[in-house]
Amino acid sequence: MRRICLNVVFLFVIAASAFDIAADQEHWPFSQYPMFSGVWTSPTFMWLRLFGVTADGREFALDANRYVAPFDQSRLPKALRRLIEGPDGVARIRAALPDLLARYEELRRADEHDGPPIVALRLYELEWTIDRHAANVDRPDRRRFIAEVRP
Amino acid sequence: MNAIAARWNAFWFAPAPPLTLGVCRVLFFGSLLLWQLPHDFSPWGAYSRVFWMPIWLFETTGIQPLPPTAIAWLQTIWKAALLLSAVGLFTRPAMIAAFGIGTYLMGLPHNFGQTQHFDTLVVFASGALALSHAGDAWSIDEWIAARRERGTQTEQRPRRAQRVIAGEYTWPIKFVWVMMALIFCAAGISKLRRSGFDWIASDNLALLLLRQQYHLSDGEPLTTWGIWVANHPLAARAMAAMSISVEALFPLTLFSRHARMLLVPAGLGFLVGIRLLMGPTFEQFMLCYVFWVPWDRVLYNAPLYAAHAARGVGDRRRELSAAGTGAGAATGH
Repeated sequence: MRRICLNVVFLFVIAASAFDIAADQEHWPFSQYPMFSGVWTSPTFMWLRLFGVTADGREFALDANRYVAPFDQSRLPKALRRLIEGPDGVARIRAALPDLLARYEELRRADEHDGPPIVALRLYELEWTIDRHAANVDRPDRRRFIAEVRP
Repeated sequence: MNAIAARWNAFWFAPAPPLTLGVCRVLFFGSLLLWQLPHDFSPWGAYSRVFWMPIWLFETTGIQPLPPTAIAWLQTIWKAALLLSAVGLFTRPAMIAAFGIGTYLMGLPHNFGQTQHFDTLVVFASGALALSHAGDAWSIDEWIAARRERGTQTEQRPRRAQRVIAGEYTWPIKFVWVMMALIFCAAGISKLRRSGFDWIASDNLALLLLRQQYHLSDGEPLTTWGIWVANHPLAARAMAAMSISVEALFPLTLFSRHARMLLVPAGLGFLVGIRLLMGPTFEQFMLCYVFWVPWDRVLYNAPLYAAHAARGVGDRRRELSAAGTGAGAATGH
């Protein structure tokens, strides 16, 4: 009996995995594992990034995971992109940013990062031309302001 | 049909002693605990509902994010369950808790905008172990049972012998093999389906390696070697060809010992390469490599190798000492 049950489990898990692979779908923890599967041909790319604003008006990029944890630099921009592209995008971004500002300050007070206190959080869309030595990481070609939040 | 059923059963349920599975349990849960110890899942419960974009599992079951305090408690129980699973105390309930709570906690972040893929194999491996008798070796439970058994006739040993014959200590290991093979193969198929041969022949990987330097990943690349590879198109294309080959051919490891010897280390090298050159954190996936090691043979042979090595060192010392004496005599020192 136990062996029959185990065989049912094996067949179910293999069939569910095969379904996601064949149908090109994702049902975590089953997946078709699509990461990096597209062909990248463009010399430019765009990415959403948060910037902190200090009391003296200086802006700095929150480009390390420690500023936005438990989010990371992959998940957060993708989440924000989904919010922007969904219905009521701007309103949803405005609702989301205060959480991220509060979290930045919470992490700072807990000494989880060494960033300065901030008085505002801004979201930009940055565009880079890919440099063959990635020397322009801190100098995007273009940036478009999307939203700002203050405590 | 009978032949297929016989091969199926031979694959999953080949008789094996409990030792290898026991060692896998210790190493898998032990390393998972060490990896997860500094991770705190509780902040996910504090984000506003605007961030909640449930994945299929959570949407279908109606599971919601718990408040931060509840998540903190849950992760404490989970980490305790990982510890108990590793040391083998109350092993079966601990492994069931590790699987159930782990699925919730590891799945939780994927509901916040992006599904990442480094922990799926951990979920499957935990599930297999939760259903298994992995606590029958290298566990405190087993040690306690052996002490109780001393001098008394209990049912423990005959039951274990039955499990050996029934392949109960084989199928969880084979399950992890199959899932790892499916995952690698799926990733290879995704690339071939969406991009075809262009994934290898174009500048795709070079551009990808450069793009990853711009702080876009869940982990920063551990080296800048990706830039070097990107600037050597032949190296980038060779790496792309190797990546797809390892991924697509990985299922051969299930059937061929020779393929295992080549593709299993190549797959591990591939994951290490991703971490070094691109950033994504596949450390949890790498933990599951403990299931590929034939621990019974390793542990059986280790004392022999150690004795051999010690004898070799002793012989070498004696040789050097004799040579030194000889040389000293020859030079008059």
